[in-house]
This record gives sequence, structure tokens and C-alpha cells, in this order.
Amino acid sequence: MRRILSTVRDGRGFDIVLVGVPFAFLFALAGLPLIYNILMSFQEVDMFSLGSFIRPFVGIDNYVALFRQPETWPILTNTLIFVVGSIAGQFVIGFGLALFFWTNFPGASWLRGLFLVSWVMPGLVVGAIWNWILSGDFGVLNFFLRESGLIEGNIFWRSDPIFSLWAVVIANIWLGTSFNMILLSVGLSAIPGDLYEAAEMDGANGWQRFWTITLPMMRSTIGAIIALGLIFTLQQFDLFAAITDGGPNNSSNVAQYWAWDLSFRQYDFGRGATISVIMTVFVMFAAAVYVRSTRHEVRG
Amino acid sequence: MSETARNRLMLAIALIMAAIYLFPLYWMYVTSLKSGSEMFANPPSFWPSSAQWQTFAFVWESRNMGRYLWNSTVIAFGSVALIAVLGTGCAYVLARYRNVWVDVGLFLILMLQVLPASLMVTPIFVGFTQVGLLDYPRLAVILAIAAKSMPFFVVLVRATFMAVPMELEEAALVDGNSRVGAFFNIVLPLARNGILVSAILIFMQAFGEFVYSKSMIQDVSLQPASVGLNSFMGPNTSEWNNIMAYATMYVTPILAIFVLLQRRIVSGLTSGALK
Repeated sequence: MRRILSTVRDGRGFDIVLVGVPFAFLFALAGLPLIYNILMSFQEVDMFSLGSFIRPFVGIDNYVALFRQPETWPILTNTLIFVVGSIAGQFVIGFGLALFFWTNFPGASWLRGLFLVSWVMPGLVVGAIWNWILSGDFGVLNFFLRESGLIEGNIFWRSDPIFSLWAVVIANIWLGTSFNMILLSVGLSAIPGDLYEAAEMDGANGWQRFWTITLPMMRSTIGAIIALGLIFTLQQFDLFAAITDGGPNNSSNVAQYWAWDLSFRQYDFGRGATISVIMTVFVMFAAAVYVRSTRHEVRG
Repeated sequence: MSETARNRLMLAIALIMAAIYLFPLYWMYVTSLKSGSEMFANPPSFWPSSAQWQTFAFVWESRNMGRYLWNSTVIAFGSVALIAVLGTGCAYVLARYRNVWVDVGLFLILMLQVLPASLMVTPIFVGFTQVGLLDYPRLAVILAIAAKSMPFFVVLVRATFMAVPMELEEAALVDGNSRVGAFFNIVLPLARNGILVSAILIFMQAFGEFVYSKSMIQDVSLQPASVGLNSFMGPNTSEWNNIMAYATMYVTPILAIFVLLQRRIVSGLTSGALK
């Protein structure tokens, strides 16, 4: 007993306690739910069987029934559009801003940091603000678009099935652009400056320097940021809750919102768990890409 | 073009871009000050003709905001405390050693960091129901947030510990400190700033958390401000000035903390997220 106490105070035991307790905690509250999720996706779980551990085992029925539902494929397509649209917008605007602020004038780093307010705000507040901006008759975005002559009549962003998904994409681009920009700025500042001096002496113009130096040097950073973008976009939930609520008629519904909707509005926990399992596989894949592209730094 | 002229021009363009980017925030503040009729004016006014300051008091009273914000604060502080106590030691060990076990641990941490809350909430909710944790809904939410955000905290704080020279700790051990003593007297004080910044980031995230609170807290008197805002925004609402006043009161403290500590938060974030 005394030996155990002394190793905890002054030896290997100290490290094991420090790392063991958090991992036990994480296993209980993230690992176990993950396994439990897979189990539930093979069971029938509703309001009545919620409290019991023994539930009817239905094999892959949940999966089969899920893909027979007419709304499944449209929602998965929406998820893909949401992910690709958001990442493309965030990345392109973020990269543009990062390149601009890279020219390093006085005040650049302070102003650049200020952009990050979009990222630290609660998602629901961001959603509320964009809900109001995107409002059909009185929204200020429609006003700007009308004034600049881009549209004739008002676009009903939230209630028109054609635009409802894009309403959330716009809000999500705003939310995530600053984070992309900050990380891209870090990558840019790590490129050694003499590369550019050498290229300039060889007569390369700005465009050529961008394609032959900046982009190749940023390859691993860009990989990491796109993977992170995929992870963050698949986590986005608050904006859907605050702007369109998945509607009208599922036209702006995505898998991660649908999973919650099935569980907590339709009380079909088994099916909610089924979508969760499918999406978790995707997220894990993105995470593996992210870890791979930051591997060098992780191993120090 | 001279250097100063170029700098001024760049600064001016940067300010315009920042103004465009931060317009939604401005629109929130302006709308919260407008009257019910001015809000729907066409063309919209970009400066309130007569600022309606009483909206704030009205919304605070009628929406019971004090209670909502108190709940948000309780949840955020609870999560941060739990994460800091468990996560700091974990980050220290993962920063101190380099072997295959540390690699495995880091890999697991990074994998757990990415699980979306809206997917994890189903099994967590069912599990918590079965073990009876949902009788203490705020505690349940704190536990769920802690599991969700701790990996991020560990990654950030580990980067801080990497910057603390190992020689200092070794010197303390040679001088007769125990491992516990060296950790608390030498290493922890040196990493204090990084830990604080990471804790503030986690606090801001937990303060705005929505999915877990919405799903697990049924009792209105225990719900945080994010859920309160969600129930304020019905499908056909027209009280946008009141909603924006709510959002203003909710978000301004977070923005104030962020602007004050901006430099540290940004550098803490960038050191951890990519390295």
C-alpha cells in the first residue's frame, strides 16, 4: 500500500494517475456512448423501451428501413451540398483574406484577430442574426441585392425550398471563414521569405509565385484545414435550429440535424442511432485525414 | 508609392473589409435599438432614429434572462472546472513523454475531438436516462460538454507544456522535490497563461452550447440562454428588435472578453490547432 502511495507521489504512478483518470472519463462518456450507439442501431428503441436494457433486436432492419425512406437520399444529398458549399466558401474567402493580411501593414494582426468574433459567438446567436438578415420581406440582404440590381423581387431565403439550404450555407460560411483565415495565416507565415526573393530575381511574377511557391508550400496546411472544415461542417447544428429548422419539407435538412430530429422529435431513437453510426464513420474518416496531415507536428 | 502611403491604403482596405465582415454584428446592435415600426421600414435605416433603450429592460424582465444567463454560467463554469482538473494533467503527461503509447493516446484524443454533439446526444441521452443522471439535468449537460470539449483543451494545453523546458523540472527533482511537488510548484505556474487562455476558450464554447442543453434539460427553469433564445424565435416571429436585444445581452460579455484578450486567444488557438 505504501509503495503504491509513494509511486503515485513520486514516480511512474503519478503519470499513470494523471493520464488514466481523464481517459477513463473519456471512455465512459465518449467511448461507451459510441459503442452503445452501434448497439442501439440494431435494436428497436422508442419511448417505451427507453429505460430498459433488454430491447427487441431487429438486426439490420433499421438500416434497411432507413434507406427505403423517401427522404433519405435527398437529405444525404443536402448534406453533401452543405459540406462542399460551406468548405469551398470558407476556404476561398479565408484564403483571400489571409493573403491580403499577409502583406503585413501596421494593425494587420490586430484586425485579423478581430475577424474571429464570428467564431467565438454562440452558434444560436449567429443563427438568429442571419435569420433576421435573410428574412424575405424585410431582410437587409434582399435590400442590398435589390439595390445593386442583382435581383428583381425578394428571395424568400428561409421558406423557398430552392434557397433554404443556401441560407444556412451562407451563415455557415460567415461563421467559419475567420477560423480558416487564421489557420491559413499561420501556414503562410511559415513559408521562408527568401524563396520569394529568389523567384523575384528569376523574374517570376506574382501569379507564378503564387502557383509555384505559395500553393506547394501550403499543401499540408491546406489538407489539414479542409479536413478540419469537413469536421466542423458536419458538427454544425445550431444554425439549422436557428434559421430553417430543416424545413420547408426537409429541403434544408442534413444528416446530423435529421439524426437529432428522429431521436428527439419523433422519439425513434433506434433510427436516430442508425444515422449517427453512418455519419460517425464519415467523421472518423475525415479525422484520420486530419491526423495524417498534422502527423509530423504531432510526433514533434 | 511611398511605404507610409501604401500602409495607409492597405489599412483602409482592411478596415472596409472588416466592416463588411462584421456587418451582421452591427445589424444586431442596430436592430435591437429600433422601434417596432422602424424595424420594418423600407428602405431599412442604418442608424436608429430614436434609440429604444427600454427594450433591453423589457426583454430582460419578460424573458427572465437573469435565470437563463445564470444557468449558462453554471453550466460553463462546471464544464471548465471539470475539463481543467482532468485535462491539464493529461496534457502534461502527453507533452512530457515521446513513445508509442503517447502517440496512441494523442490519436484517440484527436479522434474524440471530432465527434459531432448532435450525433453523440442520442446514445448519451438514452444512457443517462438509464443510469438516472437526467434527474440532475445541468450536471448531465456538464458531463456531456466536458467529454466533448476536453480533447480540444488537451491539445491546446499540451502545446503550452511543450514550451516549458524539461530541464527546469529535472532541476527541481534533483533538488529533492517529489514529482507532485515539481508539477505544482514549477511546471504548472510556468504554463499558467496557456492554461488560462484555453480555459477561457472552452468557457466561451460552453456558454453558447445548445444541442445537449436542448435535448437533456426539459425543465424551463434550468435551461441556459441558448435554449431560451431558441424558444424565443418561433417560426413566424416578428419581434426581431426584442430577439436582437436578447442576443445582444447574451453575446456582449463574450465579445468583451474576446476583444480584451484577443491577441492571447488567437495565438493560443493557432499554436494548438495545427501543431
